[in-house]
Amino acid sequence: MGPPPGGPAPGGPTPGGPAPVGRESVTPLRLSPKVLLIDPVRMLPSLLLPLVGVLFVGGFSGRSYLWAALGLVGTVAFAVVRWATLTYEVLGDRLEIRRSLVSRSVRTIPLERIRGVDVSTPPLHRVLGLAVLKIDTGASGGDEEGRLDGVTLGEAERLKAVLLRRARPADGGGVPVPAAGPLAGEAPAARPSGRTIIEVPRMWLLYGPLSGAYLLTPFALAGGAVGLAFQWGGDFGFGRDAAWTAGEWLWHHPYLLLGVAVLLVLAMPFAGGAMYAVFNWDFRLMERDGYLVAERGLVNRRSVSLESRRVRGYEIVEGFAERWAGVVRVWAIVTGLGDSSTRGQLLPDVPRPVAFQVTADAIGPYRAGLRPHPPIARNRRLFRAIFPWAALTVLAVLGEAVTGSPLWWFLAVPALLLAILGVPLGIDRYRSLGHGYDGVRLAVRSGSLRRSQAVVERRAVVGWRVRQTWFQRRAGVFTLIAGVGAGKGGYEAVDVSRAQVVGLPVEVTPDWVTPFLPGAGSEGRSSAVARPEESSVGTGSEGSSVRAGSEERPSAVARPEARPPVGAGDAPGGGDGEGRSRASDDRRAAGGGAPTS
Amino acid sequence: MEALIAFVLLVGGSFLAGRWVGGSGWPWVPDWFAARPWLLPVAVGVLTTPFLLAEPFVRYAVHRWELSGDVVYARTGFLTREWVFVPVSRIQTVDKAQGWLERALGLATLEIRTASHAGSSTIKGLDYAVAAGLAERLANRAEQLRDDAT
Repeated sequence: MGPPPGGPAPGGPTPGGPAPVGRESVTPLRLSPKVLLIDPVRMLPSLLLPLVGVLFVGGFSGRSYLWAALGLVGTVAFAVVRWATLTYEVLGDRLEIRRSLVSRSVRTIPLERIRGVDVSTPPLHRVLGLAVLKIDTGASGGDEEGRLDGVTLGEAERLKAVLLRRARPADGGGVPVPAAGPLAGEAPAARPSGRTIIEVPRMWLLYGPLSGAYLLTPFALAGGAVGLAFQWGGDFGFGRDAAWTAGEWLWHHPYLLLGVAVLLVLAMPFAGGAMYAVFNWDFRLMERDGYLVAERGLVNRRSVSLESRRVRGYEIVEGFAERWAGVVRVWAIVTGLGDSSTRGQLLPDVPRPVAFQVTADAIGPYRAGLRPHPPIARNRRLFRAIFPWAALTVLAVLGEAVTGSPLWWFLAVPALLLAILGVPLGIDRYRSLGHGYDGVRLAVRSGSLRRSQAVVERRAVVGWRVRQTWFQRRAGVFTLIAGVGAGKGGYEAVDVSRAQVVGLPVEVTPDWVTPFLPGAGSEGRSSAVARPEESSVGTGSEGSSVRAGSEERPSAVARPEARPPVGAGDAPGGGDGEGRSRASDDRRAAGGGAPTS
Repeated sequence: MEALIAFVLLVGGSFLAGRWVGGSGWPWVPDWFAARPWLLPVAVGVLTTPFLLAEPFVRYAVHRWELSGDVVYARTGFLTREWVFVPVSRIQTVDKAQGWLERALGLATLEIRTASHAGSSTIKGLDYAVAAGLAERLANRAEQLRDDAT
């Protein structure tokens, strides 16, 4: 039998397992030969252009046909060679994909690094019973990921099972140990495997047009059609002139153009809905062997597996129209997931209670409420929503007064309308703001036209960043960003108050932040504002001014045990002696900035 | 220093813009301005000089860093202020870099990266020896404390 280290461990629970597992490790496998039928077809478009060029240059002579035939043969031969030279095999605890077409390359993917397997079946593949298998390893750059284009469906399923089953035991030992202690409530692996969490009924596809996705499809289609018409027109000989005359004719019948435009706009929701339905047909979310599997699509059936262990939270998104209808979309926040906007989708438009239930079931609930942000935030939201448009209105009116041209009104009136619309918008944006923490997960919410609430596990937070613009400093509010090594990378709580900006990090990660409490709270701030003169005096001699700065730091530092009120605390230390000496060492060079030479 | 470069760029740019607008002969350009195209760069220069003078001092006063209790804390900012907390256990790489200007002045920049851009921080203008020492210690400590880091 093949792999002594890899084989027994996963094979243990299923005694019948080792046999096939062992066999496949020995012989390298190829893609299905049926892929040969697909490759040339797919290459046709890229071949078309040179072919057309050849036809134009050489005319419709025997030579050009020869060239064309040569091109076709070349493509087929290329596909055959590529098929013949690409092999893959599961060797022990890794997957190897070998390519030896011109240069020889071996891509080795350790199975324990596989974070998800993505099976999709484009139409042509579907007809032939093939699938594209994408192996997500969390490596940056799509090129680094494994991709097997054209395995049979059965093989894809088998391979997926093998890859994911092998991947799992490796972390089964590793993860619960650190994670179980503080976060005992949520061990996703403990669930029964292979159950369906939700199948989205087809009725709910009707929510599709609300999502605003694919709304521009009619325009894209029309544009594509026009472009194609031009190209084909060129090919068929009635060259540019005909196109120009057609264009001129259209120009002389503006109502026709207008009609077409109106038609396109009217078609937006329908086409958008249709596209949405095609992409999200029979959406199904399952849980299997520690993976979340989402399947969707009518033509290109796509199945995405996300490793539950890597799921750090979820983001609930609702557009304006969707809020009105009470439906939401959900994305998973997964570490190391490339292309997360399409892959990470957990739910298409579903009613809000369902979404909450499903996310609670699949990932974990968020139980606490959201805390509102201080009223100053409302003023800021209102100001931002209204001011630009109001300013534009004033400018336009001024322009009208100066130049006397009535054209300015065309600018002033819409700007005024937008400014008025800004009032409810700003208030709504304020009401959307919120953050909270329920002991396991923290949540932040913002936005009005596209309101999104991110719910992230505590352990996913890799750092905190607090930002305060000059305007925010005037208003006494902060933006708190939780750095998360997944999803968008950082989730912001905008315009939180001074108490909140300290409060949330202290709540979520008390051991990180409390040592700095006074520094991050208010002392650092006030001193920062007050200090410029004093330190500019010392800047001339670098050493001394650095000293001066460093004398001040210790006063701002206190140990966690104390959890001091603002400004308390004396020397650092108190914790471990080693830490103290180190800390005082560090502070020698506190301060930075560009010393002006 | 960087502020100085930005300043030169800004003044130069506005000078060019002033020349362009002045020489274009557009009807909406007031006559007094077209006659004196150097006004714009001078205005920009006058407006930005206080910022130019203040920025290094303010930055120097504001910028702080600290390593204590296995958390790196850094504060930066001039008009917009930022405080960053990065626990050492979540650090993935520590880079130190020196630009030509920094080399001339014996300084270095320390970049601390985590899995998230929002949790990564950059500490500019450290003494080279301090930066090297800190980088090494952070790297060692991160090795010891390392958990999943994502």
